[in-house]
Amino acid sequence: MSTPASVTWQKNPALAWREIDDETVIISPNDSVMHELNDTGSFLWKNIDGKKSAAELAELLAENYQVTPDMALSDTQALLEEMSSRKLVVTVAATGAVSP
Amino acid sequence: MTMTPSPVATPVMDRLISRTVQKHRPLSVHFDLTYRCNERCVHCYLDHDDHGELTTAECLKVLDDLARSGTLFLTFSGGEIFLRPDLYEILAAARRLHFDISLKSNALLVTAGRAAKLREFGVRRVQISVYSDIPAIHDAITKVPGSLERTLAAIPILLEHKLQVKLACPLMRENLTAYRGVMALAEKLGVPYILDLTITPMMDGSSGPLEHRASVSALLPVLRDPVLNACRPQPTAQASSAISASPSTFGSAVSSGIESAAYEDLPCSAGHNSCYISPYGDVFPCVQLPQAAGNLRQEKFEDIWYHAPQLERLRSIRESQLPICSQCEIRSYCERCPGLALMEGGDMLGAYERACALAEEKARLAGVDDPVSALHLKQAAASVQAATEGEFASIAADSSSD
Repeated sequence: MSTPASVTWQKNPALAWREIDDETVIISPNDSVMHELNDTGSFLWKNIDGKKSAAELAELLAENYQVTPDMALSDTQALLEEMSSRKLVVTVAATGAVSP
Repeated sequence: MTMTPSPVATPVMDRLISRTVQKHRPLSVHFDLTYRCNERCVHCYLDHDDHGELTTAECLKVLDDLARSGTLFLTFSGGEIFLRPDLYEILAAARRLHFDISLKSNALLVTAGRAAKLREFGVRRVQISVYSDIPAIHDAITKVPGSLERTLAAIPILLEHKLQVKLACPLMRENLTAYRGVMALAEKLGVPYILDLTITPMMDGSSGPLEHRASVSALLPVLRDPVLNACRPQPTAQASSAISASPSTFGSAVSSGIESAAYEDLPCSAGHNSCYISPYGDVFPCVQLPQAAGNLRQEKFEDIWYHAPQLERLRSIRESQLPICSQCEIRSYCERCPGLALMEGGDMLGAYERACALAEEKARLAGVDDPVSALHLKQAAASVQAATEGEFASIAADSSSD
């Protein structure tokens, strides 16, 4: 079951990451696994700030890229869920569950 | 919208290296915070006096500049970094800027409290110099009695705090037979290790440390050791990752540590996507290539990185165009370093004796018949020519006297 679109998200504070030429590389320090985000993924990553929900992030995505609101929300939620499963992002309410 | 996960040694790192090399982004930076040290290793290439280290504020400004320029992998080293009283302040800033942080240390000053701080500030890995598992050998190199015991005591502390540890063992005359012990130690601890055959001149070019360098003939038993697999040709298609957790055997303790097929025809990463910053703010392509491209007290990092003539020249070098080495038939056995070519042979583009002699031995041990480097072929040809000219001159002199 997907996380409700109204829930706010934040980056896992333990991560190392850098945006280089519109693509973002993220490293999980515990397992040294690297993750790579393309330009739209990087756009969302930049905007994940602990204050915005999936719906708000999708709105920004739709404004900046030529995608429909429905598609933007679907893609945003899918990416957030995937990043959450890899402990790259957490919902703000669940922040305490992430260990650095 | 895609997201690509990458379990360590993977295409993600290769793509990252390719992109950063093509666009000259400083992906990996080695930043020495101090040259002061609490050991006096016999082979060290540094002057340990403080000639005016960057202040805390200056260090933090450098970190801001590096983050803005695209640096991800940041290695703090020295000297001994724990001698910087503002180390935690610098690490905290690096953490806020989301660098992937590694340290190099002798670990003499590691305590549980300090290890906890390193973990808190997001340090991922600590590389520790261990010269032998035998205290008398290690301590004779560091010139600090009891140093091996203290260093080894620190490793479990770091591991308990979930920091990755890697042992680095430069091999020299004093510890040439000690590597098996260091390998066993690493295995016992469950950590990777790196053996390094590179002993360099001092950064000012003086040759003192080279007295401790093992001769090529003395290295033969090491090169022959099947456990090390040291005589295999250099990889051309396979990539390894800077964040690989698997044990690595040989390498340079002072390089960026990132190897990849993405470097293709480049001598190394220096100046392409990596550089070195001294405690005084000098920017070098690499710590082994001590040609300062600029100083961060006078110029912004971006201005040095993108516009310094020294770096532009370095970026133009292609191995396939090197005047001697490009013709060499045993290139795949060679670990030529442009910095050492400059320091030992006087020409960054040139061949130098040590690399050629090592490549020949490695090729011979790998089964190549009578391997001769291009440098030695050239020297032999010049010698024959000189002898022939001498003979002609002698005949001409004889003829004229007739």
